[in-house]
Amino acid sequence: MNNNSNKMFFLFILFFSTLISISSNSWFGCWIGLEINLLSFIPLISNSKNLLSVETSLKYFLTQSLASINFLFMILIKFSLLKNFNMNNIISIMMNSSLLMKMGSAPFHFWFPNIVEGLSWMNNFMLMTWQKISPMILLSYYFNKNFLIFMIITNLIIGSLGGLNQTSLRKLLAFSSINNLGWMIFSIMISENLWLFYFLIYSMMISMMISLFFLMNMYFMNQLFINNMNFFIKLNLLINFLSLGGLPPFMGFMPKWIIINFLLINKFYFLTFIFMMTSLIIIYYYIRIIYSSFMFNYFKMKWVNLLMKNNMSLINLSSFISISSMILSTFIFM
Amino acid sequence: MCFNSFFFLFFFMLINYFFFVYFIMNGLSVFFEWEIISFNSMSIVMSILLDWMSLLFMMFVSLISSVVIFYSKSYMNSELNLNRFIILVLMFVFSMVLLIISPNLISILLGWDGLGLISYCLVIYYQNLKSYNAGMLTALSNRIGDVMILMVICWVMNYGSWNYIFYFDFMKNDYVMFIISFMIIIAAMTKSAQIPFSSWLPAAMAAPTPVSALVHSSTLVTAGVYLLIRFNYLLIDMFFFKVLLFLSILTMFMSGISANYEFDLKKIIALSTLSQLGLMMSILSLGFPDIAFFHLLTHAMFKALLFMCAGVIIHMMNDIQDIRYMGGLSLYIPLTSLCLNISNLSLCGIPFLSGFYSKDLILEMVSFNSFNLMVFILFYLSTGLTVFYTFRLIMYVMINDFNLMMIYNLYDEDYIMLNSMFVLLFMSLLSGSFLSWFIFSYPYMIYLPFNLKLMVIYVSILGSILGFMVSNMGIYSLNKLLLSYNLSSFLCLMWFMPNLSTYGLSYIYLNFSQILFKNIDMGWSEIYSGKGIFNILKNYSVFYNIYQMNNFKIYLFSFILWFMILFIFFFI
Repeated sequence: MNNNSNKMFFLFILFFSTLISISSNSWFGCWIGLEINLLSFIPLISNSKNLLSVETSLKYFLTQSLASINFLFMILIKFSLLKNFNMNNIISIMMNSSLLMKMGSAPFHFWFPNIVEGLSWMNNFMLMTWQKISPMILLSYYFNKNFLIFMIITNLIIGSLGGLNQTSLRKLLAFSSINNLGWMIFSIMISENLWLFYFLIYSMMISMMISLFFLMNMYFMNQLFINNMNFFIKLNLLINFLSLGGLPPFMGFMPKWIIINFLLINKFYFLTFIFMMTSLIIIYYYIRIIYSSFMFNYFKMKWVNLLMKNNMSLINLSSFISISSMILSTFIFM
Repeated sequence: MCFNSFFFLFFFMLINYFFFVYFIMNGLSVFFEWEIISFNSMSIVMSILLDWMSLLFMMFVSLISSVVIFYSKSYMNSELNLNRFIILVLMFVFSMVLLIISPNLISILLGWDGLGLISYCLVIYYQNLKSYNAGMLTALSNRIGDVMILMVICWVMNYGSWNYIFYFDFMKNDYVMFIISFMIIIAAMTKSAQIPFSSWLPAAMAAPTPVSALVHSSTLVTAGVYLLIRFNYLLIDMFFFKVLLFLSILTMFMSGISANYEFDLKKIIALSTLSQLGLMMSILSLGFPDIAFFHLLTHAMFKALLFMCAGVIIHMMNDIQDIRYMGGLSLYIPLTSLCLNISNLSLCGIPFLSGFYSKDLILEMVSFNSFNLMVFILFYLSTGLTVFYTFRLIMYVMINDFNLMMIYNLYDEDYIMLNSMFVLLFMSLLSGSFLSWFIFSYPYMIYLPFNLKLMVIYVSILGSILGFMVSNMGIYSLNKLLLSYNLSSFLCLMWFMPNLSTYGLSYIYLNFSQILFKNIDMGWSEIYSGKGIFNILKNYSVFYNIYQMNNFKIYLFSFILWFMILFIFFFI
């Protein structure tokens, strides 16, 4: 991100708006937070010199405002027409739909890969991690269980199938984010603590990957092979991708493990099956990328020679965390 | 390294000799026992039995191995890793000694397994494809015997300890002893290459010649016979000995026939070893263990000598082992041909060489006691066959014309190899009479009619005439040989028995696994799990992308449409 004080200002308001949204007493406060979120994110992503980012910010504005309008309207209907607070009714479906559209979850996710394609890596990072906090927490206040389970299944399937045919790294992470949204929505239904845990680990993994891609300025898959990467950078990429996919000794396995544990104890067998199979497709896809970049020796001329001597400590630290955090976490709770 | 081990083994031989003479003159036997651990009802002991039989056998083993190590100093002088070879031979001797002196099954197993493993290492010493195949065949055939001994160990636990020599007189009619004896006989048959397991011995000739001289003539293959000699009191009236008799005389007969068709020098000697092993096993199963032991020892002497002469000849022929290239060597290499001739004649049983004492005694015991006709015929026929292939070999190697090259230098003055052969020559001349004076404290009573006594000479003369006639191959011999093609191929390929151990075991399974691999691994499982699922997912993903790549208005409009549907449901 550029050292631009305007962007600092809007970033501060962005953080503050999420805090407003999640810590308010009434639904109006939530809606206000969402609106301020939208308004402060737009200046972060629009750059009037680049036509693509203008178009992207316009698309973002249209979808998010439509969702906010619906959210406000549903809040008003709920206040005026419903006198009780049972959760699983049709108003909650409507409220959840608008929140799901804000997050970029299926079946309202079609804007998400398009927009992600137009943003730079740091803006993507914001979009994928921070922007999801307030809709999720609002979701946990009033949700419809049946509707959400159906949406979870849709999320998982679309996240895995859509990512199969992609070559752009941003769209790839977008579909992976949609898949992980499925896991996160389910963890909201289990307990909020678990959601927080999952969300923190997910944002840590995404931050490691995005920082790696940002430092090497890589936006497409073929850039993984053409560049003359250091061995440790490739190793870090390997570990992070596998961790994101949820493979056991790495960090990303832990939250998925706890969710699967809950699922099996409470006999959600069909849902477990869907979770497992879609994770498998996602991991296949990641391994396809890192196998090619890590093990094969491409015979093309490598014009870009990445030295990256100054940033090695960060990469080593992130690899270490990804590998060892599962084991170290058991020491914490002893 | 060679000289050190030679001296050590030679002195070991002398020590054994003196102890042997002392023990047999005074009828002494010493039993050392060290109890390692005793738990519940079993006790694991390490015991050493020194009686005249084990001392005599150790003396012979150490003599042959010392001479072979001395011989291999010159035979394998171009070998880079000669120390490795000598160490392997020493470990082999150690395992053999452990086998000889042990009266309990655990140390027999240690020696037995050690023999099998080290003989595998020695057979594959030249690392080429033929040695690899031969080593596999050797190791796996010996492994069957190892498994049998393991199972015997398991069954003997019924009796409380593994010192088998104490139980023979008391437990003879027990059911457990029945099973134990069956397994012991199978173990001895695998080690000594009797009929179902006889394919490894000719194949193991891929080993270096010193290894063949030590291992495949006198020590490894006689371990089975030695085991049966030790277990003789148990097995002597059992049914299995009749089976062993049948199989061993067939082995004797078959290998005698097959040796007549062979043209590889070492394979002829291997098949003659197999024939003599059959002889030892058969006289053992007829109930004469001491004669079997006697023949074991004298055979060790001249067979080792024969292998060493074969080694010298192979070196001279530029590493060619085919006897059709050799000929007339008696004119050029007198000392080596001296050793070769004496060992060959000793093998035939020519009077008053060492082989005569043991072989003639065996044949006379067979004639004197009343056995059935087939035993009698096959014994004498095999003796005749021995003379047949021996004379054929002598004609090919010594007497006919030299077939290798126009100008050649046959180098006989390698005195390292010759001195080692002279030691064995001395022993092979004299050991027959020496041993008969030592071992048999009273001679056997044999009273035969005149023609039966001369039967040996009759079959020997017949065999020698046939050997002379067969080796006169001319240009037009081949078209007459093709008349009996089917019979010849049956007889020369050891009655097709190697196929039992090699091709017959593996063909069905390889064929089946090819069918499985083609139809399942590269067939249906690709459709149902590998590529098939990938194609399905890819089609789904392509189908999804049609929805993804759309006009932006349609997304927003679809959202509004969804809400309209929900409103309709809400307000119905």
